[in-house]
Amino acid sequence: MVKWLGVAGVLFSPLVLADPVLINGGPFEPPVLLDKERLSIEVDSFMLDATPVTNQAYLEFVHENPRWQRDNIAALFHDGNYLKHWRGNTAIAEDRENEPVTYVSWFAAREYCAAQGGRLPSLNEWEYASVQYRQQQNISDNDYARKLFAWYSQPHTSKQQTVDPNADQLMHMHDRVNEWVNDYQLLLSNGDDVDLLSGSCGDGARFMSSFTNANYATFFRYQSRSDYAPQSATSTMGFRCAYDLENDHE
Amino acid sequence: MKTLSLSIISASLLAAMASVSTPATATDMKLKHDSEYVIDGKIYGLPEAKVYREEYNGPAVVGNYLTSVPHLAELDYEGNKTHDVRMDVFSQQVEVAPGVSYSAWTFGGSVPGPVLHVREGDRVIFKMKNRSDEEVVITKPVKNGSPFFQQIQDNPYQNNQPVINPMPHSMDFHSGTVAAEDKWRTISPGETIEFEWIANYAGTYMYHCGTSSVLMHTAMGQYGAVVVSPKDGYPTDKDVDHEYVLVQSEHYLEEAAEGNYIYNHGAALDRQPSHVTFNGHVAALSDNPLRANEGDRVRLHVLNAGPSGTSSFHVIGAIFDRVWYEGDPRNEWYGMQTVLLGASNSATIDFIVPEEGIYKLVDHEFADAERGAAGALIAGPRKEK
Repeated sequence: MVKWLGVAGVLFSPLVLADPVLINGGPFEPPVLLDKERLSIEVDSFMLDATPVTNQAYLEFVHENPRWQRDNIAALFHDGNYLKHWRGNTAIAEDRENEPVTYVSWFAAREYCAAQGGRLPSLNEWEYASVQYRQQQNISDNDYARKLFAWYSQPHTSKQQTVDPNADQLMHMHDRVNEWVNDYQLLLSNGDDVDLLSGSCGDGARFMSSFTNANYATFFRYQSRSDYAPQSATSTMGFRCAYDLENDHE
Repeated sequence: MKTLSLSIISASLLAAMASVSTPATATDMKLKHDSEYVIDGKIYGLPEAKVYREEYNGPAVVGNYLTSVPHLAELDYEGNKTHDVRMDVFSQQVEVAPGVSYSAWTFGGSVPGPVLHVREGDRVIFKMKNRSDEEVVITKPVKNGSPFFQQIQDNPYQNNQPVINPMPHSMDFHSGTVAAEDKWRTISPGETIEFEWIANYAGTYMYHCGTSSVLMHTAMGQYGAVVVSPKDGYPTDKDVDHEYVLVQSEHYLEEAAEGNYIYNHGAALDRQPSHVTFNGHVAALSDNPLRANEGDRVRLHVLNAGPSGTSSFHVIGAIFDRVWYEGDPRNEWYGMQTVLLGASNSATIDFIVPEEGIYKLVDHEFADAERGAAGALIAGPRKEK
């Protein structure tokens, strides 16, 4: 079985980590064309956490890795707000164990996933999983767009809703936190050149496979996250981890 | 004799040089950075923006010439001035119609944001911290804040309440002439941007957030007006009795829960506003109408912030004596019933209040008026002048 799960199981037996979910690979037509000359890409199969990483799981990580505790994290890796909603270095507020961890920088998210034997998903992997999730949950394109814009336009204070840490299927892809992905900084290109406008002046249609509300919503997720710094730690940014399948055979 | 003529010649030469170089010298004196240069008396080539992190919990709007709509600060100085202006960006619950509130993205906490008043040729040193991931209160007295706060507190018609909604944002002043990818760049929550711009052209200009999706950011409430008064004024300045600022905009909201509204992106793309307002509330200028007296000359600086609609601005019972399109004194029109403003167009309008009474201000595109783009000016009896 996956190495990280064994380690976690031995050291932190009170915490039952749900198995990540298998995402079967296949051809993928990205809703946002990062490269306008590639309308379809191939996504390899991979494993993805069923839910965003919770405060409780992150607490176990900082117990094990003290240099990623709030008082110890290198200044280079955060913007000053890292885990600011926690009560202390290794203490989370009551009843918040099963909320997605927030106030984590991209650097911290990457480190957490590496410690679990995984990594942050790529943008394409995450979006591919998001499309599968919409199909599994039978979410229409318009409902998806509506929900996503609703999430962005609602105040999400540091108090988040919980997730089920034992979920056995993909959950909460669009309604808890915005999630870090490994290549989150959006680079729109025209062949070998970086696109001049990059959708920055309402010219998003050029980058969408079709100009629908759903694709626009997805584009908005790409863009708003792309404007964060890798040090940014905010009340709405969380993450989940991905794992390569070959680990299974180790 | 020779000496005398020489000195006369050199004196006249000096005088000639002085007269030729006087305007240039006056302009040169305003140059501040090595990168700056002058074309037609206007300054270009401003230094790069700075982005940094600062511990700042002070007033979110700083500067003596920043007011809340419909107010316009008086320019109580001669010539040109350098303005230190701060307008932080953060989220705020605002009401746009009775029982209709949403979590707006704002400059300074109101929709539209504060009005900045400067004079043509003034320099603005602008600072903005992205405080969208903290609660910022604007309805309590603040020390060293701009007049904006007192005006909001005197008339809190949007019932502004702090909310948290972290989001990258930026500031684009239409009144500035700069490289947008530098000065108007996006900053993350917690970051501060600082840059300068020169009010090279007179007029009433929109400012807004230019971060993608620019449609969503503006529709969420991120816009306001800068009034750049012409250095030599408008021809009727000495006769103006009242001066007000009016910003029209569309809102695209749908009810998510009882009294809690959210942005409807489909409606925004389809240009189907739920509300169209003057100064950010359907009743902003009917609950608190503008005031004047019979026989007064009233000046309005009207900006249509859009984001996507037009405004056919009209005052029922008045004719616009003078209209300076975009607020440039060279764009002078006379005797207009209605001024058509595209998204981010403006006009500076003078009209005479003919009689004591109520003068309704409307977008004469009545579908917009029905959705809220209406207000009033109440005129009292004629005063002896």
